Amino acid sequence: MLLEKVAYARPDTVAGALQALASSDGAAPLAGGQSLVNVLKHRVASLDLLVDISRLDELRGVSSGADGSLEIGACVTYDELDHSEQVRSAQPLLADVAGHIEDQQIRDRGTIGGNCCLSDPTNNLPPLLVALGATMVVQSAAGQRDVAAEDFFHGYFSTAVGEGELLRCVRIPPLSAGSGAGYSTIAVGADSKAIARAAAVVRGNGTIDDARVVLACVAPIPTRHAGMESALRGASMSAESARTAAHEIGAETQPFGDAHGSADYRREMARVVAERAVMQAIADGGGDRG
Amino acid sequence: MAEPDVVHSIEFTLNGERHEATVSSRQLLVFFIRDVLGLKGTHIGCDTGSCGACSVIVDGKLIKSCMMLAPQADGTEIETVEGIAQNGELSVVQRAFHEEHGLQCGYCTPGLVMAATFLLRRNPDPTEEEIRRAIRGNICRCTGYVNIINSIQRAAGADSREAA
Repeated sequence: MLLEKVAYARPDTVAGALQALASSDGAAPLAGGQSLVNVLKHRVASLDLLVDISRLDELRGVSSGADGSLEIGACVTYDELDHSEQVRSAQPLLADVAGHIEDQQIRDRGTIGGNCCLSDPTNNLPPLLVALGATMVVQSAAGQRDVAAEDFFHGYFSTAVGEGELLRCVRIPPLSAGSGAGYSTIAVGADSKAIARAAAVVRGNGTIDDARVVLACVAPIPTRHAGMESALRGASMSAESARTAAHEIGAETQPFGDAHGSADYRREMARVVAERAVMQAIADGGGDRG
Repeated sequence: MAEPDVVHSIEFTLNGERHEATVSSRQLLVFFIRDVLGLKGTHIGCDTGSCGACSVIVDGKLIKSCMMLAPQADGTEIETVEGIAQNGELSVVQRAFHEEHGLQCGYCTPGLVMAATFLLRRNPDPTEEEIRRAIRGNICRCTGYVNIINSIQRAAGADSREAA
């Protein structure tokens, strides 16, 4: 398909990219392009300038701290997350999740920044980054600002990244002692579009001290479920606790329905994936695997 | 910084040979390969990044060439199915697809040969599950995939025999 007429620039620096983005209202950053190119083909958006940020060294690095923290450049691809020793070692769940996004070709081009900045409610990484308490570092010509992952997603295809800004990197703190992480998806087919998704981080020792449970595909943005988190606090680290807490998901959760699942079906599946994610988090943290 | 423009001079290596070309910003890599370079082995199927018929290897990575812009190929090394055979000899993967009859209509075959070639470079001894995952991005509507998987298994076995 021939795209609409559009200009293309590949600046050498983030500063150059920000300058290019500021040069026109119809300018947009192009990273892996695995969504944006289709958006352009389908004439969903009309742009006059694509600013290719996919090769900027400043956005391509992964670094880890001695404490197990990670800083991942916005243009690190899913395949690189999957195969990075630093990511595998500090956040093995993130590497696993990235390694099961769609197919090899998409993993070779798609980026962590694109996955987040698109803010498609079915995307893989947003709920996990919210559960892990990640910080999104947003860059403008004026400087950088930190946005908690929990506050980064504003709605369908809308994030905290404003005009004249780029997502620069994602910082992920280490899991605290006694914590484990879990993630579960029910999808249309293997590694494909999600119907329901949940991510969880659970901390405790015999008894759950704290839990973060994030649901995706049930609202425009990844959403922590307060009722489930509070039901888990003080409960035993067991499969029974996960099952009981998942029943807190009820009428307050109002998913969208589409060709792949009605709203009611999605709510039911949200309970299933939330329970599984919490169970995996408990097992990952070393709690009762029963 | 390069001036934003709709026409770009690019340099790249295609199947081992240096090339220079002028491309339009809005040209997809697959059409540049097929219509400008005249290499019709890279097929265009869905044109939405779903079918994998247009798969090529760019800088060692398997990608769908309908999801990349031609100007993004500047400075890269591109491998298409035409570069897989060396000196007129089919590659191990190509021979295995022939021997195991890993195709029927053949439309998906160039993409699958590229996907299998990429897989075996990275993982010379894949399990059946790893093979299935490696070709997840390549749709075949004829074979049911059984003979394709047999082909890749044969190629992997042949690779280890040849290496031995």
